[in-house]
Amino acid sequence: MHLSTEFRILAASDVHADAAARKAEGWRYVQMLAVNNEDSVDVVYSYMKDGLLDNAVVEALPRDARLASITDVYLEAFVCENEIHDLFGIPFDGLAIDFLGNFYRLSTESPMTIISPEKLAEQEKQRKLAEKKAKAEAAKTAKAAGEAASATDAKADAAALDAEMEAKLAAMPPEKAAKVRAAMEAKVKKQAEDGRDA
Amino acid sequence: MGKASVIPFGPQHPVLPEPLHLDLVVEDETVVDVLPQIGFVHRGLEKLVETRDYNQFIYVAERICGICAMGHSLGYAETVEAFMGVEVPARAEYLRVIWHELSRIHSHLLWLGLAADAFGFESMFMHCWRLRERVLDIFEKTTGGRVILSVVRVGGVNRDIEDSELKAICGVLDGITDEYQQIMDTLLTDMSVKNRTVGVGALTREQALELSMVGPFARASEVAYDVRSFGRGAYGALTDFQPITDAQGDCYARVKVRCEEVLQSIRIIKELSAKIPAGDISVKVKGSPEPGARAANVLEQPRGECYYYAQGNGTKFLERMRMRTPTSQNLAGMVEALKGCDLADVNMVILTIDPCISCTER
Repeated sequence: MHLSTEFRILAASDVHADAAARKAEGWRYVQMLAVNNEDSVDVVYSYMKDGLLDNAVVEALPRDARLASITDVYLEAFVCENEIHDLFGIPFDGLAIDFLGNFYRLSTESPMTIISPEKLAEQEKQRKLAEKKAKAEAAKTAKAAGEAASATDAKADAAALDAEMEAKLAAMPPEKAAKVRAAMEAKVKKQAEDGRDA
Repeated sequence: MGKASVIPFGPQHPVLPEPLHLDLVVEDETVVDVLPQIGFVHRGLEKLVETRDYNQFIYVAERICGICAMGHSLGYAETVEAFMGVEVPARAEYLRVIWHELSRIHSHLLWLGLAADAFGFESMFMHCWRLRERVLDIFEKTTGGRVILSVVRVGGVNRDIEDSELKAICGVLDGITDEYQQIMDTLLTDMSVKNRTVGVGALTREQALELSMVGPFARASEVAYDVRSFGRGAYGALTDFQPITDAQGDCYARVKVRCEEVLQSIRIIKELSAKIPAGDISVKVKGSPEPGARAANVLEQPRGECYYYAQGNGTKFLERMRMRTPTSQNLAGMVEALKGCDLADVNMVILTIDPCISCTER
C-alpha cells in the first residue's frame, strides 16, 4: 500500500455531513488545522483510508463565521477544534468537550490571526518588488513597441523614396534612366561591401 | 457505588515528566470519567514560520521536542520537499531512516526506563538508560549532537556516515541487542510487572479504530497501522516490514509492542546499512515555494503517526506550518483507557500510552 495525498474544496455547511459520511465509510480522522488569510481563515479537515490522505479545505471562512463541530462523529477532534477556537477565533457549535476558550493559556486573543510586523514587512517588500518588476516589464514592452513603430516608419519612408525615384526615372529618356539605375545599384553594392568590411 | 469525587491529577506529578492535567471522577477508587487538559507550556512555535525562512525553520521544527527531534526535522523537510518538487538522493534517504530509527530506539529505551522506575524496578531503569547512552554516543559520533542532531536539511542531509562507521554502528547495535534481549525477557516475564499491567487500561480494536488512535497505543489493540509500511523513502528497500501488534490492548500489550519495536528498529538499521547506495547526500534547493503551494505528509514518530502540513506564499517564508502530534490524536483514547481503572493504576495507564506533551504543545 502506498501513501497518496489529495486536497479538495468543501463548503462550510457540508463539514458535518462530510465527516459523518467519512465515518460511515470507515475513514480515520487524522486532524484539523486552520490557515490565516488577510481577512478570512481556511480550515482543513484530514481523513485517511487505504493509504489515501484526504484533505478537505473550507476556504475563505469569514472571521465571524461558526462551524459545526464534528466531535459527535469523531470525539478525538475536540483537541483540534478547541485549538482552532483559541488560536484562530473560530467557534464550533456542539463541541463535545468545550474548554470555552481556556484550552491554551494565552495572553493575546486569537494570536494566529495577528499578522506580525516581520510578516507585514516581508509582504510590503514583496509588493514593492512585484510593482518594480511590473514597471520594468511595462517599460520593456513600451520600448519594444516604440522600436517596432519607428522601424515601420523607416520602411514607409524608404518605400516613398523608391516610388518617387521610380517616377523620375520613368520621366527620363531610357538610356539616361539605365545609366542612373546602374549608378544607383553600384552605390548600393559599394555601401554593402563597406558595411561588411567594417 | 459510592459518591463521585473529582481528584486532580497533575500538571505536576511524579510520574509525569511533562505537564498534563486530568480531572479524575472517581467512585470507590474506580475512575468513572476523565477530563484532560493541556496548554500549560504552549509555545506557539508554528507562528515562527513568519520570521524564519523555510530552511531556517527546520531548526525550529527539531526543537519542538527533545525526544522526537530527528522525526520532526525529517517530517518537516519531507513536506517542504513535496511541494517544491525536490528529489532527495537515495543515500540521504537511507541516512535519514537510519538516524530516525536510532531515534526511535532511544525514545523507547527512555520510555522503558521511566516505566520500569514507575513499577519500582529501579535497576531496570538504570540498565535501560545505560543502553540508551550507547545510542546517544552513536548520535554524538555521527552528528556531533546527542539530542538535537541538525543533520536533516531540505534536499537531503548535512552529514554522511562512512561505510566503516556504519559497520561499527551495527556492531554496537549487536551488543545492545544481546543485553536488551535479557532486559526485555526479564521485564515481560516478571510477575510484579504483569500484576501491574495485565488487563489494566484495556481498549479493544473497535475502540482503537473508533477513536482514530495511532502508534504503539493503537497497535497494542491490534490495529496494524504504521506509516512505515507505506514504504516511502528507504523504507521501501526493506525486504519485509510488518507492524508489530498485539491483541490484548492492555498496558502489558503496550509495553510488549514497544519492547519489540526496539528490536525491529535494530533490524531495519542493519538491513539499510548493508544496502545503502553510494552517492550524493543532498541536492541544492533554490527558489521559494509558489504562492498557494501546499503539501500534507505523515511520518511514524516513536509515539505514532505525526501529520505535517506546509503552505507557501511565494516568499522564502512559509504561510503556514502545522504539526499534529500522535499524543494529540491519542488523548481521546487515553480518556477511554482510564475509564474503569483503579485510581492506583492511573499512572501506569498514562505511562504506557507515553504521552509527549512537549510535542503536543508545539
